[in-house]
Amino acid sequence: MSTSSNGTLLSVQGLQTRIKGDRHSITVVDGVSFELGQQQVLALIGESGSGKTMTALSILRLVAAPVAITGGEVWYEGKDILRLPAEKMRTLRGRRIAMIFQNPRDRFDPLRTIGDQLIEVLMHHGITQNRSEASRRALSLLREVKLLDAERVMKMYPNEVSGGMLQRAMIAIAIAPAPDLLIADEPTSSLDVTIQSEILDLLKSVETARRMSILFITHDISVAQQVADTVAVMYAGQIVEYGKASEVFAHPQHPYTQALMASVPTPTSDVLQPIHGLPADLAHPPPGCRFAPRCPSASVHGRASEPPPFVQTENVGVRCWLYAEAGQ
Amino acid sequence: MLSYAARRVVLLVPVLLGATVVVFGLIHLIPGDPAGALLGPTSSDATRAAFRHDLGLDQPLPIQYGVWLWHVLHLDLGISIARRQPVISIVWEAFQHTLLLAAVAALLANVVGLFLGIVAATRQFGIADRAAMGFAALATAIPSYWLGLILVVLLALKVQIFPTGGMTSAIDGGSPFDIFWHLVLPAMAAGAAPAGIVARTVRASVLEVLRLDFVQALRARGFSESTILFRHIVPNAFPTILTVMGLQAGYLLGGVAFVEVVFSWPGIGNLLFLSIGQRDYPVILGVMLFVSFVFVLLNLAVDLMHAALDPRVRTSVAA
Amino acid sequence: MISGANPSAAPELLRVSGVEAPLQQPGTLRALWGRFRHDRLATAALAILALIVVICIAAPLTSPHDPLATQAVNRLAPPGSPGHLLGTDGAGRDLLSRLIWGGRISLMTGVAPVVIGLLVGGLFGLLAGYYGGVTRTVIMRCVDVLFAFPAVLLAIAIAVTLGAGTRNVIIALAVVLVPSVARVTESATISACSQEYIEAAKASGVNDASIIVFQLVRNVASAPLAYCFSIIGPVIVFAAGLNFLGLGIQPPDPEWGSMLYSLQSSLLFAPLTSIVPGVPIAIAALLFDVIGNAVRDVLDPRLA
Repeated sequence: MSTSSNGTLLSVQGLQTRIKGDRHSITVVDGVSFELGQQQVLALIGESGSGKTMTALSILRLVAAPVAITGGEVWYEGKDILRLPAEKMRTLRGRRIAMIFQNPRDRFDPLRTIGDQLIEVLMHHGITQNRSEASRRALSLLREVKLLDAERVMKMYPNEVSGGMLQRAMIAIAIAPAPDLLIADEPTSSLDVTIQSEILDLLKSVETARRMSILFITHDISVAQQVADTVAVMYAGQIVEYGKASEVFAHPQHPYTQALMASVPTPTSDVLQPIHGLPADLAHPPPGCRFAPRCPSASVHGRASEPPPFVQTENVGVRCWLYAEAGQ
Repeated sequence: MLSYAARRVVLLVPVLLGATVVVFGLIHLIPGDPAGALLGPTSSDATRAAFRHDLGLDQPLPIQYGVWLWHVLHLDLGISIARRQPVISIVWEAFQHTLLLAAVAALLANVVGLFLGIVAATRQFGIADRAAMGFAALATAIPSYWLGLILVVLLALKVQIFPTGGMTSAIDGGSPFDIFWHLVLPAMAAGAAPAGIVARTVRASVLEVLRLDFVQALRARGFSESTILFRHIVPNAFPTILTVMGLQAGYLLGGVAFVEVVFSWPGIGNLLFLSIGQRDYPVILGVMLFVSFVFVLLNLAVDLMHAALDPRVRTSVAA
Repeated sequence: MISGANPSAAPELLRVSGVEAPLQQPGTLRALWGRFRHDRLATAALAILALIVVICIAAPLTSPHDPLATQAVNRLAPPGSPGHLLGTDGAGRDLLSRLIWGGRISLMTGVAPVVIGLLVGGLFGLLAGYYGGVTRTVIMRCVDVLFAFPAVLLAIAIAVTLGAGTRNVIIALAVVLVPSVARVTESATISACSQEYIEAAKASGVNDASIIVFQLVRNVASAPLAYCFSIIGPVIVFAAGLNFLGLGIQPPDPEWGSMLYSLQSSLLFAPLTSIVPGVPIAIAALLFDVIGNAVRDVLDPRLA
């Protein structure tokens, strides 16, 4: 596991991804920047449509026409992986940077057993040399992700297994080649609440045991609160707030983050505050700050022009006029 | 699976019986007296009378059917008027020749179609895709008999590579290679259209699988496109692909008839054609009966194979 | 689809994919119009086809020569000969004229069976799907029986049994098509019947005939229609093939398939002339294929 000089595993800078439509293009990831250190969990929080999944897919370069990465850099192991030749990128995928998805049921080949798919990954990345070794390794991996009765699960087909078990199996497949970085795209969104916390615990223990970093994507603040070391809040393709989790959750600066925190039930609140308005239409973004139409503190200035990216206020970076002016 | 198979086999019986009823009905649709039709214009009145009595043609219809069915189950399909031989042996021999031609044509069609379909799907909207689908459209539109004639003109008359017809050469013929050489043109002519259909279906099927989410997950695991294609996508597309291939093969069993006529290939299509001219009704009916039985069994095999590959089929109620 | 139709392919795919039949959206005609406006290939095909149909229908006006007029002198003239754009056949008759006059038969024997198959097969399928139970079992068993015979051989047998003539060819082809259309319609009807509006109609006492005619047909029609459009081309080829075998029209009346057969004996001496009659068959099939694809994409995209 090699790192850059200051211990950063992954550094995303100004990532831009666009979808080319018939009439116009939509920028779904607009200048996103963040960093992920060793053994760190960064939660990327946002509504659906905010661009968080696209960010993840862009990092792994899993996008294809009409979606294209149009700008920015992604630094990993001292190289900008956006500019690697396709074959080299493919060797990174799965092996050094792995990804797990929402809806595990749609992410397995329905015609092959779970064991087969696990073995396939082990053999492909050269973790094991022959099938029997791979078989044993697969079993131990399944046990590591706390799948009871691992022998039986090995022989089962995806449709015979519950969602929670499938997600564990997907985690097993992801960690099999011992990657440095795991991208988890809403891994618990389709699961029962009880299973959710089990999977979250599993991810945390795997992270510690294997010294991995996790880029955890979610729309659910309460889930992020359980796992995150750092937090990046996304809105309409942009990061609007970014910093240590403890800081952001305790003292949210950006009006959107504040609204998100207010919409989460806590033991003391009895009234949930929904966020007014609809998510931004990326095909026709407003001229000023993207959140302005829904922002309770919107100023004329905010509606007219985009705020500068990131003004630091103590431990947190915010993209908001409220702080830009104050910080001048 | 076993119960599904058992159900399908049991369902066979009424279908086969129904087929015999249809053929029996055809006998009686023939204008004129069945005895005259089945014995030929040169038969004497005495022979016809005996025949009528034998087959119970003076009895009510259900009994006629019963008697006739009895003969059929004993493999007695009558005597060919033109050749004075038992129909069953004539049909059986011709059937083997048709089977050979249909099998080779099906093999050709399926291999070419599979290849074109996969190429088209993996290079969707590119030149290869358009070319493959253009070829498929052309292939399905061109009549097999016309293609046969063109092939004869080009490859047997202008440039005399292949023979113009028949199954074996008149001189020194009969070897497997000789037969194979005679097979080439008719197989191409008969297989072109099924190849087009298979190509289109394979393309659609592969594209559908390519859209599924697990393909993206496989890419995220680091597999190469070709690995994903052959180890995961094609197997998932298999049920549909194999079904259409089986259907085309089954269709070819009858469909090669036109090509058989063009190339004088001694199969049942050709037999049927010649018998039409000769008004050899026993042969015509015998062919229909025989082919229907084979066809039903073949369709059953295709259905069972499909059910084996795709569990969803077993649970749906068969129409 | 293939030369010498394989009608059983599409319904098998339908049955096997286990997907619901689509509800016909309002504005189908508008959707078709929109599709043809944007699909230049389909529009061109439609235009060319219309032209061919008009030429054939107006045969008395468009035919340069008398299709039956024989001459001893200029026989088997190649295409491009003076006075005979497409050449002459073995009896000296002008090929172009015969193709124009023959087109009426060839096109009709392609379209008529499809129309009959659609109406008859559609009706059976509707009844089977709507009433279910014994009705459905009886109808679909009969359909299964007809499926026991390969399409080509069944058509030949029926045509032979009924005797020569265009009318019997049409009947034979219609009989072959009815089972396929019935299956497609039955499947679509069953899906449509599971929709709630049918339950509602039944519950409010509307009689069966009204339900079928006014509600069901509109929603179920797209599947068999799409199927029938896609099959016209192969049926034209199939019909010409039956004529090729001598089952339909009798000489000297012209028809594309039978012309092809009678010219086969001249293959050695006049190869180019001998294959001329196959050209319009292939062109018609290709045009209908393009048009059928466009129609099917609008009416029932799943079948693609």
